[in-house]
Amino acid sequence: MEEVRIGVYVCNCGTNIAKVVDCDAICASLSKMPNVAVARTYKYMCSTPGQEMIVEDIRKNNLNRVVVAACSPRMHERTFRKALQTAGINPYFFEMANIREQCSWVHENEETATAKAEALTRAAILRVAHHEPLENLYADMCPSTLVLGGGIAGLSAALELAESGHPVFLVEKTDRLGGNLARVDLTAPHLYSARDLLTDRIARVRANPYVQLMLESELKSLSGFVGNFTAIVGAAKKNGDPHKEHVLEVGSVVVCTGYKEFDAGRVTHFGYGKLPNVVTSFEFEKMLREGNIRTKEGRIPEYFAIVHCVGSRSRDFHGYCSRVCCMTALKYAHEIKSAIPNSYVSDLYIDMHAFGKGHEDFYRGSSEAKTLFLMYGKNEHPVIKRAQPGEESEMLIEVNEQLSGETIEIPADMVILMVGMEARSESGDVARLVNISQDKDGWYIESHPKLDPVATTTEGIFIAGTCAAPKDIPDTVAQARAAAARILGRIAKQKIEIDAVFAEVDEDLCSGCRVCNSLCPYSAVEFDEEKKRSRVNSALCKACGACVAACPSCAIKARHFTDRQIFAQIEGVLR
Amino acid sequence: MSFEPKIVGFLCNWCSYAGADLAGTSRIQYPANVRVIRVMCSARIDPTFVLKALRDGADGVLICGCHPGDCHYTEGNYKALRRYELLKQTLCAFGIEEARVRLEWVSASEGQVFAEVVTDMTEKIRALGPSRFRVEQENASQPVHQEVTK
Ligand SMILES: Cc1cc2nc3c(=O)[nH]c(=O)nc-3n(C[C@H](O)[C@H](O)[C@H](O)COP(=O)(O)OP(=O)(O)OC[C@H]3O[C@@H](n4cnc5c(N)ncnc54)[C@H](O)[C@@H]3O)c2cc1C
Ligand code: SF4
Ligand code: SF4
Ligand code: FES
Repeated sequence: MEEVRIGVYVCNCGTNIAKVVDCDAICASLSKMPNVAVARTYKYMCSTPGQEMIVEDIRKNNLNRVVVAACSPRMHERTFRKALQTAGINPYFFEMANIREQCSWVHENEETATAKAEALTRAAILRVAHHEPLENLYADMCPSTLVLGGGIAGLSAALELAESGHPVFLVEKTDRLGGNLARVDLTAPHLYSARDLLTDRIARVRANPYVQLMLESELKSLSGFVGNFTAIVGAAKKNGDPHKEHVLEVGSVVVCTGYKEFDAGRVTHFGYGKLPNVVTSFEFEKMLREGNIRTKEGRIPEYFAIVHCVGSRSRDFHGYCSRVCCMTALKYAHEIKSAIPNSYVSDLYIDMHAFGKGHEDFYRGSSEAKTLFLMYGKNEHPVIKRAQPGEESEMLIEVNEQLSGETIEIPADMVILMVGMEARSESGDVARLVNISQDKDGWYIESHPKLDPVATTTEGIFIAGTCAAPKDIPDTVAQARAAAARILGRIAKQKIEIDAVFAEVDEDLCSGCRVCNSLCPYSAVEFDEEKKRSRVNSALCKACGACVAACPSCAIKARHFTDRQIFAQIEGVLR
Repeated sequence: MSFEPKIVGFLCNWCSYAGADLAGTSRIQYPANVRVIRVMCSARIDPTFVLKALRDGADGVLICGCHPGDCHYTEGNYKALRRYELLKQTLCAFGIEEARVRLEWVSASEGQVFAEVVTDMTEKIRALGPSRFRVEQENASQPVHQEVTK
């Protein structure tokens, strides 16, 4: 067998690693290990010069294995595998030691952090010696896409794909398209009509021959893998016709299932549900859309109060900001003033979040429109009560105003609660069906929050719009079209590359006991009745390793996670 | 010198390893006693990994997977849980204290939980002292027998 020659690279990551871990000392110590041919430190291993250094060393020093001790392999494993490929050696002859996320960023003591980083790097060196060359597989990319949700996100993704000439199945749970945006009147900050934004898109979706629209439907199951999923879509209602199920072959899935509004009834001190003229933003949108702003008693209100952050940015409900309520509140101030010029509008906010393009101008415009802005404290709340008969307004609101430091009482005939967004109650079911994760608030988690925002940890499944977190229309549309662009890129290539990591049965060791057969969640293990041996279908295997750990004859090998490789790692961290 | 426990962590790639990475990006501090080995799913963790770690001198072994229902491969963590229960009984028979081998669910958003688990486990094992295997081995320092590997 060819002599193992390992190159070891310890990254400083600027000062991210080097400020706690003594990288030079690790290099000096590990360079004495058997099989280590080169050991170096460098400022930024992932930079172009860093990668070139590896490529050059491989060529000059005949390296056939590489270890990089740096950030998490979830960050840069692929980057470095490419470098190995460039230098002409198999990309799987590579191992990373995570000495940043799991060392320098979580430990302050230089001595123990350096010892740990050395142990992790040593483990990687011992492991990489047992690595085997693996060839990635290629599978066909099915050009059809399944889009879940017919809100503005789903409509935008579907159009981008269909207008490029690729089939789309657009699955919407309700009997109509448009989602929550169909309940909105004008949109902040440009005051475009939501109806106009939607009708154009809905008409194009309905007219496009590449879109198969499936209303009142939902996903029942999804199997397969990127490029080759099989989806079963059926009637949305529980008692729907079970025979109406469709089996669809798709290459990708875009989840655009949106949000629901926070239930204002959960906040008792605003009197929602008890005081007739305390309404939610969506109830007010309805009045705006109908052009009929009236109290329950049919009067035209004179005094309006808008309360921000209902259910958002609070200790008791959701900690996050719902991002659209501040601008929507200003939009209401604007629409109220134009509908009822003699009215008075008070706006009760915690902080005014005007972060987006054009938002600050919109805020300034509203201040000039004689809106009374009152700031209340976070985790405090204005108190709404019924006014005494004979007062000029129906309700009175008591606010502990932060800027003046005074308790102020203002009159109100109508109070609008700016309810925030929250994850839909069934979002967990959808997550399980398509195998993606949720954060503590129920929003879907992206593959990387900054660098890979619309992909998920399951290849081929994308998320867009408010199912991933609260956002406004521009951000929602940008994500939907980004997801579509990612899919179009893959369709253009026609083939998709699949990691060479899967399980393999050694026929000589297999006793035919069939313990593994029923264990596999993807039914990837088949039994050859003639040979009386099990076999793994590599296209179906997702490399979880369950069968590997269970086989009593040690006949199944998990490629790239073999016993020998993991044992070497254990020895390395403990030596 | 005071006793510093050595803990080997086996973390599944999708939830727990990502959670440990998040502890890093959020700069949540915890003791440096744990050394993590990444596997694709907690179901890959063969009991021999745990035994090997203990025999090679680990004072504790931490196994982390996704929360029940959240496993990337649907139910690998249930398999891990069943295996863990059996393993614990075997280890007890060998006189290995229960606190030394621990199974915890850590999601990708639970960096804080991971840090707390490691901190707690380190403290508990520090109180227990070195593992029996490690003491025996340091006394005898004889080579361990060869195991079957694939
Ligand atoms: C009161 C209010 C006012 C707003 N005003 C503005 C504004 O002025 N400007 C602005 O930019 N933004 C505004 N927004 C934000 C805007 O509503 C969102 O950005 C936008 O609607 C998000 O679209 P979406 O497609 O992600 O989600 P949604 O609109 O929620 O659409 C999701 C769709 O998916 C469907 N669905 C859900 N689950 C499933 C399933 N399992 N299977 C199939 N289909 C499913 C739903 O029925 C729905 O049709 C406002 C929000 C609120 C609360
Ligand atoms: S568990 Fe192992 S020995 Fe039994 S059938 Fe599967 S591969 Fe063969
Ligand atoms: S590794 Fe997991 S997915 Fe692959 S064959 Fe074994 S049990 Fe099935
Ligand atoms: S992938 Fe985390 S436990 Fe299975």
